[in-house]
Amino acid sequence: MSDQLVHIEGAPRPPMDPREIARIAVNLAAVCAVGALVLGGVFMATDRYQTAARLAGERAAVSSMLALPADARVLEVRQFLDPARREVVYRARPYGDAAAPVRQMVFTLEGRLVASDPAAPAAEPVGLTSLGRLFVATMNGEPGGFVIEGETRGYKNRIRFFVALDTAFTVQGVRVIEHEEDPGLGAETATTAFQGQFVGRGADRIAAIDVTRDPMPEDWRTALGGLATTPSRTWIGQHADLIAREAPKPIYAVTGATISSRAVTRGVRTTVDHFRRRWALLAPQLGGHS
Amino acid sequence: MSDTSRPPGALQLLLNGILAENPVFRLALSLCPAVAVTTTVMNGFILGVAVLAVQVLSSVTVAIVRGLIHPRVRIPVYTIIIAIWVSAIDMTLAAFTPALYAQVGLYIKLIVAFAIIISRLEVFASRQPLVPSFWDGAGMGLGFMLALVVIGAFRELLGNGSLAGIPLVHGKPLLFFALPAGGFFSIALLMAFFNRIERAVSGDARRPASSGGHHG
Repeated sequence: MSDQLVHIEGAPRPPMDPREIARIAVNLAAVCAVGALVLGGVFMATDRYQTAARLAGERAAVSSMLALPADARVLEVRQFLDPARREVVYRARPYGDAAAPVRQMVFTLEGRLVASDPAAPAAEPVGLTSLGRLFVATMNGEPGGFVIEGETRGYKNRIRFFVALDTAFTVQGVRVIEHEEDPGLGAETATTAFQGQFVGRGADRIAAIDVTRDPMPEDWRTALGGLATTPSRTWIGQHADLIAREAPKPIYAVTGATISSRAVTRGVRTTVDHFRRRWALLAPQLGGHS
Repeated sequence: MSDTSRPPGALQLLLNGILAENPVFRLALSLCPAVAVTTTVMNGFILGVAVLAVQVLSSVTVAIVRGLIHPRVRIPVYTIIIAIWVSAIDMTLAAFTPALYAQVGLYIKLIVAFAIIISRLEVFASRQPLVPSFWDGAGMGLGFMLALVVIGAFRELLGNGSLAGIPLVHGKPLLFFALPAGGFFSIALLMAFFNRIERAVSGDARRPASSGGHHG
């Protein structure tokens, strides 16, 4: 095949005069221009639906991870870093309600409240670094749990994931939302068999969590399979003994994908750690808001 | 096939891609994805369908515009055409079938770099009219898909003791076959088996095991 790629029988090989070079340049430029037009058109036709599909997927993930009833209310908190002023900006509003007023809180990196504005401008702040989002669920006026968005550097590209915690900061679920890992290898970190291992572990366990390449015990694998169909709260109750046995141990890496497994585990650890510190600041401010 | 004046018929072109010039077992092309992705039947099938779509669309496009492509830059142009189709399919699936895209999205992007597609454009679609190019693309895509499904079934059965996700044997009989190294052995064993069958059918023992092509 390589022979045919390099050489075509009878292909003309004229000397490269400037007109020939110009023709080639025009030919390539035309192909690229047509390609750009086609892709631009497809993008414009699909972007709206793609964004809507992504938002719907995220919404479904948030409510299923916390097993929220239909009447539960969710507060979305966008977190930003302002590197120039060494401040962290939090912008909270009811999830999916673009018309609702935004409550904005600004803290210094040391955790001192600088400003709190219950009706901040709706426009997103410009020039700040996004630190991901945080979802706070309330049921019957009581906090029902949290879903925190995190990001980590995977084997090929960034991996974006959600971590769900109950009010005692016990993990209710980990879900990889977006990744580009290899199918059959790193992509397996997005399966229940891997993600489920975090469920039922407390924040203190997560803070010290590590990864092992040991094979996963068969009974633990079977139990994790049940997470696909059972809400995590019920599942934790059903498998209390197994969780007590496995929780002090490291996370079992996906076979052939230790780097991706480490990346997700490290990401979950950092995300939970940051959340605990930020929530200690935010909770008094948000009390009574949602 | 080197006879460019009279292209063969549709059925012959389809069978050519599936058997005589099967991309994986005969041409030994695109072995990297064939090894990486075929840990299960379903993975192989999904990638196979995606390749079939991109191969047919790219072959048809090249067959239509082949008169306009400057011969010196034909390879970059083929690559752009493949990339356009892959990106368009990627965006469309993400927008309208998010559930399917969650499973298929990763495979789609891989296809830009598949040697089998660009080689069919160079060897066939750039020299043949629209209709035969369509059938050649369809045959090659089907051949690739069938090969991936067979390899996936072999590896899933031996490595995981299941078939298409349905457990058949308790535990993992030979986990080795689900791992990357096992993938090479699986393809080698199946390629040998494939050669054996074809020799028995055609009675031709002189053909080489494979053309030892370039891989990607």
